[in-house]
Amino acid sequence: MSKIIACYKWVADEADIRINPDQSVDITKAKGKISDYDKNAIEAAVEAAGKLGGQAVTLTFGNAGAKPSIKDALSRGPEEAYWVKAAEADQADGAVTARALAAAIQKIGDSSLVICAEGASDTYARQIAPRIGAILNLPVISSVIIMTFEGNSLVATRKLEDSLETVKVELPAVVAVLPEANNPPLPGLKAVMAAGKKPLTEYSAADLGIDFKPRNQVVAVKGYVMNRKNIIFDAGDSVSRVKELAAALRKEGVL
Amino acid sequence: MSEADKMDVIIIGAGPAGIACAYILAQAGKEVLVIERAETPGAKNVTGGRLYTYALEMVDKGLTEEAVLERKITHEQIMILSQDKAISIDYHDPSFNREGQVPQSYSILRAQFDEWFAAKAEEIGAMVACGVKVDDLIEKDGKIIGVVAGEDEMYADVVIAADGVNSFMAQKAGLIKDISAHQVGVGIKEVIELPPDTIQERFNLKPDEGAARMILGCTEGIHGGGFLYTNRESISLGCVLMPEEAAAHGKSVHEIFQDLKMHPAIYPLIAGGESIEYGAHLVSEEGYRGIPQKIYREGFLMIGDAAGFVINTGYSIRGIDLAIVSGVAAARAVLNTSASDQVGPAYLQELKNIELLPTMQAVDGYADLLAIPRIYSSYPRIAVGVFERLFTVNGQKPNSLIKNTKEVIKSNGVSMWQLFKDVLRGYKSI
Ligand SMILES: Cc1cc2nc3c(=O)[nH]c(=O)nc-3n(C[C@H](O)[C@H](O)[C@H](O)COP(=O)(O)OP(=O)(O)OC[C@H]3O[C@@H](n4cnc5c(N)ncnc54)[C@H](O)[C@@H]3O)c2cc1C
Repeated sequence: MSKIIACYKWVADEADIRINPDQSVDITKAKGKISDYDKNAIEAAVEAAGKLGGQAVTLTFGNAGAKPSIKDALSRGPEEAYWVKAAEADQADGAVTARALAAAIQKIGDSSLVICAEGASDTYARQIAPRIGAILNLPVISSVIIMTFEGNSLVATRKLEDSLETVKVELPAVVAVLPEANNPPLPGLKAVMAAGKKPLTEYSAADLGIDFKPRNQVVAVKGYVMNRKNIIFDAGDSVSRVKELAAALRKEGVL
Repeated sequence: MSEADKMDVIIIGAGPAGIACAYILAQAGKEVLVIERAETPGAKNVTGGRLYTYALEMVDKGLTEEAVLERKITHEQIMILSQDKAISIDYHDPSFNREGQVPQSYSILRAQFDEWFAAKAEEIGAMVACGVKVDDLIEKDGKIIGVVAGEDEMYADVVIAADGVNSFMAQKAGLIKDISAHQVGVGIKEVIELPPDTIQERFNLKPDEGAARMILGCTEGIHGGGFLYTNRESISLGCVLMPEEAAAHGKSVHEIFQDLKMHPAIYPLIAGGESIEYGAHLVSEEGYRGIPQKIYREGFLMIGDAAGFVINTGYSIRGIDLAIVSGVAAARAVLNTSASDQVGPAYLQELKNIELLPTMQAVDGYADLLAIPRIYSSYPRIAVGVFERLFTVNGQKPNSLIKNTKEVIKSNGVSMWQLFKDVLRGYKSI
């Protein structure tokens, strides 16, 4: 049966990340979690499988620490999980990650749709869906909030700055969804219980036969302090002060 | 009901009680499901945290060695505070940390400990479903036969409530009523991060040693007390207060805790640390007499805090070890009893065999002792007052100790007769 593959990333929970007084970032105490936006991708795959037919599955590229993600991902509805289990994931840049996922997608075999989130909640680099599309020579639709299907075609609504664009594409294709695409429900008891019994396929770095060397290297990660501008509009009467405030906000691009 | 919807045992709550029970049942080959509402076990659990290791060893020999623990408790301390003064007692027993022996107790952090313990039970074959809240019990012909969680129903031969203090499940089963304020204390705890060296220096500890401290006189006269445990890289500091008295007092529980933190004998211990966790939780305060009249019915058992198994003697709180031990007793009862209506009585018998009920009964009198209101107000003041006179040297002729003591007692508004009655009551209680 044709597969609908949801890709997700296991990230450090930002709630546990600490910025030290010297701006260094401490993630040693952070728990892992499925990137929030990727939960939308998983839900989108489950919904798409319901409409289009086929089997929703999940795919992740992560080190051994990503283990708990498998049960979590499967409790959200997909029928099978695939895991490229490789320490190389730690240093991977967008190109390496996309290569690893694309190679795994080819190994998985017959698939009609690959669904990613627009970006991961840690780096939000927005590279994965376009790059997978490029490697596999598939059409890519980004910023998707609605998916419907007509025969073997996907009709997707894209959310742009101030308008909605509808595009139609013959499957297979790669899609990047926005968080507005759906509301992933909390998995129920039976879904959680069933997750432990669903099949998992692991690939090692060697299985994929790709180049894991990143060309981008992360040199430093530091916290930053957002300085307030501390502007007080106190001259003139209240009408002119409000006008000044509005003008300043417009200049900053917030109005 | 299909085969897939039926387990041998369903346990509600992945605290120490539920996991200990699941561990033993799974080890014996039972199909057991633990349902926990938190995303990960222990994520929301608040405790002091000291664990007596005998309980873990009862679950499985050698388990302590693998457990995620903090420091071996080698320093047992009692502190009495009054105004800005303090009396400290430090009982150091190196034999609590003897080579080749399992140390008597460890400080623990529940988020880490519970997660480890649950993973261990899963490894052995128990199924742990997290992020799922049980909403109701399913009853048929007077017997509990399953649980409802959201849209799902699951069935089991035995349902075990390990859902903690003020057990909602025991209420659903009709075995307890909603809790009343005099039965529980409100516990507040903060975890304050400090470098290990600093902790060792401040508490005079070796690198693997730890201190456990009970603090009296820090509650503005309200029934309750404080506690402090040293972890590897943090200090757990908290207090437990009776909510009714606190409400009448006018100061919030939170404010009283802030005052404790700022006390001149406490503040230097936590100075420079960073608060990384703050939580509140109920603690049952009634000991043996707080155990509900019935802790089982057909198809249903209560273990741990759900059954009221907590001992508070004023010098130590024990709930985690009793939770584990009661989980062991419940598992044994399930494994050794075939007739469904005999599991409950067998559980009660196991609780006796395993010495849980006898232990709680033996220290039952502490509740009477701790009910004397002067323990939290005038007696700490008197103790500190006596020490103050004892250690004051100013060149004047000192009074005799007896005279000093009498004066301090009188100046604190306590009559000798009152004191005599309280001592007698204390003597009888314990
Ligand atoms: C401030 C404070 C200090 C303490 N200090 C100590 C100490 O130093 N030493 C000691 O031994 N004891 C101490 N105790 C007592 C100890 O914490 C408890 O006795 C112990 O945690 C009881 O374990 P339990 O497994 O019965 O319940 P809990 O640890 O409370 O676990 C119950 C579990 O059930 C889950 N649950 C509840 N309802 C549901 C539901 N409907 N569906 C699914 N899951 C549910 C909860 O999320 C929780 O994980 C302290 C308590 C407090 C509050």
